[in-house]
Amino acid sequence: MTDNAFHFSGVGYSYGPARALDNIGFTVTSGEKLALLGANGSGKSTLLRMMDALCFPDGGTATACGMTLSATAFADEDTNFAFRRRVGLVFQNPDVQMFNPTVMDELAFGPLQLGWSTTEVRREIDNMLVRFNLTQLKDRPPHRLSGGEKKRVAIASVLICKPQILLLDEPTAALDPASKSDLVSFLSRELGEDRTVVTATHDLDIVEDISSRTIVLDRGSIAADGATLDIIHDTALLQRTHLVFPHHHSHPKAGPYGKSHSHIHEPPAKATPSFDFDHGAKD
Amino acid sequence: MGFLHGLDGVERHAREAEDASASAGFLQGLDPRIKLAGLLALVIAASLTRSLLTLALLFSAAVVLALVSGISPRRLARQAWLAVLLFTGALAIPALFLVPGDELARLPLLGWTVSSQGLRSAAFLLGRAETSATLAVLLVLTTPWPHVLKALSSLGVPVAIVAVLGMTYRYIFVLIRIAGEISEARRSRIMSRMNGKARRHLLFTTMAVLLGKSLALAQDIHLAMVARGFRGEVRLLHDFQTRPRDWTFLSAALLVPGLILGLRL
Ligand SMILES: Nc1ncnc2c1ncn2[C@@H]1O[C@H](COP(=O)(O)OP(=O)(O)O)[C@@H](O)[C@H]1O
Ligand SMILES: [Mg+2]
Repeated sequence: MTDNAFHFSGVGYSYGPARALDNIGFTVTSGEKLALLGANGSGKSTLLRMMDALCFPDGGTATACGMTLSATAFADEDTNFAFRRRVGLVFQNPDVQMFNPTVMDELAFGPLQLGWSTTEVRREIDNMLVRFNLTQLKDRPPHRLSGGEKKRVAIASVLICKPQILLLDEPTAALDPASKSDLVSFLSRELGEDRTVVTATHDLDIVEDISSRTIVLDRGSIAADGATLDIIHDTALLQRTHLVFPHHHSHPKAGPYGKSHSHIHEPPAKATPSFDFDHGAKD
Repeated sequence: MGFLHGLDGVERHAREAEDASASAGFLQGLDPRIKLAGLLALVIAASLTRSLLTLALLFSAAVVLALVSGISPRRLARQAWLAVLLFTGALAIPALFLVPGDELARLPLLGWTVSSQGLRSAAFLLGRAETSATLAVLLVLTTPWPHVLKALSSLGVPVAIVAVLGMTYRYIFVLIRIAGEISEARRSRIMSRMNGKARRHLLFTTMAVLLGKSLALAQDIHLAMVARGFRGEVRLLHDFQTRPRDWTFLSAALLVPGLILGLRL
């Protein structure tokens, strides 16, 4: 067996004519905590889907746990089954992921599909309900929960299958600051040493807590790959990849003129800076 | 926009049903499989009987079940009786005149006659429809929807049908929310009051966006199922438990169509 969780080399992917990933190469070792950092539309979700064998490279080679990620390989039931037991993906939009009538059914879904016995499933559900502080919610329909609760259920419903590799797509998107910090401290506590965790995010506040290594994606290509601390302090890189913006703002009680004014804190990047934080967003 | 208010109504209705099913009451306390089978037996009884008196008794029994489950007749009228009266009434009225037989009354001016046989068949039509609708509403109002689905599947309804029904239910909420968000986003941008044409245009584009979003959503939901090991067959957890009163209710309910058949009531 290989010690690598993932090995990608020269990988590309297109949606029709639109190139979403280009010449992607990296290796992730088992147990590594990796962040995929990139602005909206940079290809994070596409890459995570590929790492979860939900879409396949149209160029280059990719393996996960030593298994080749290709449509032909995954046409085989046993390959598919073995893979699903090892790798779990938490989708960005919890509404997509939670299609079951109650929280309990949601938790049961994965293990039941993977063929666990109902006694085993029940025991593990109880366990997860306590760990994720969801006991009072177990009979509630997932769509009636708050944003933070939905996220907890979505993560629990994937972690219950005990995947060796966990892929998280923007776990803190659409959470208020309090739920966000709860979730981050929960994740750093619960994810464990051995599990490989890959988190896609554009949230600079959380990368340090959830990763030791960061890959920066920019318009489908890798712009940087290195230690998280180095990357989040590389202002030029972050600006170049649209993760921070030089900004205009006013100081209410500013200066001797007693009037608010606008100015630029950072020199503008070469390309005309965009002030649309949501460019490329699909929803 | 009427269309979106309609969707809002669906959500409010579903929420009310969830609240009713969570409150205490006789039917709420029954095992959903037993309840489903028992109420179905009563529906069958209503369609089997050849006696208006028996039908009236069945209808009264349904109302009593509602009362001991904390559901008011007003609520039944609002959610079942009026609608059935409108729809079935439209079918029953022609039967009054069209069924040949002994003349009971003659309409002034038109000269149409109402026969006693016509009256009888109209009463049966309406009585059966009202009784069945009441029993169906009782099931839905006293059982969380997921449990209805589970009960269906444990009574042998194919898992694919149950999964589709389950998705439909979940889906509705997501779609209602998206629709609401779209309309709010639009409204906040629209400063002046719109004329009829502009409003229709807004409705159509909203529906188009909604359709696009729901297709993308369906695709994503499918991927999310595959990601967790779905291979075409949904497996569900069943944790229903029957108690003696479940069996009492079921025996009583099954006895009714039995008696009707046996004694030709
Ligand atoms: N289903 C799709 N069909 C067509 N284009 C898509 C689809 N999903 C994503 N894209 C495009 O691929 C690019 C990368 O998107 P995505 O992987 O979702 O980025 P991110 O998750 O970083 O926001 C974007 O330009 C996006 O518009
Ligand atoms: Mg994304």
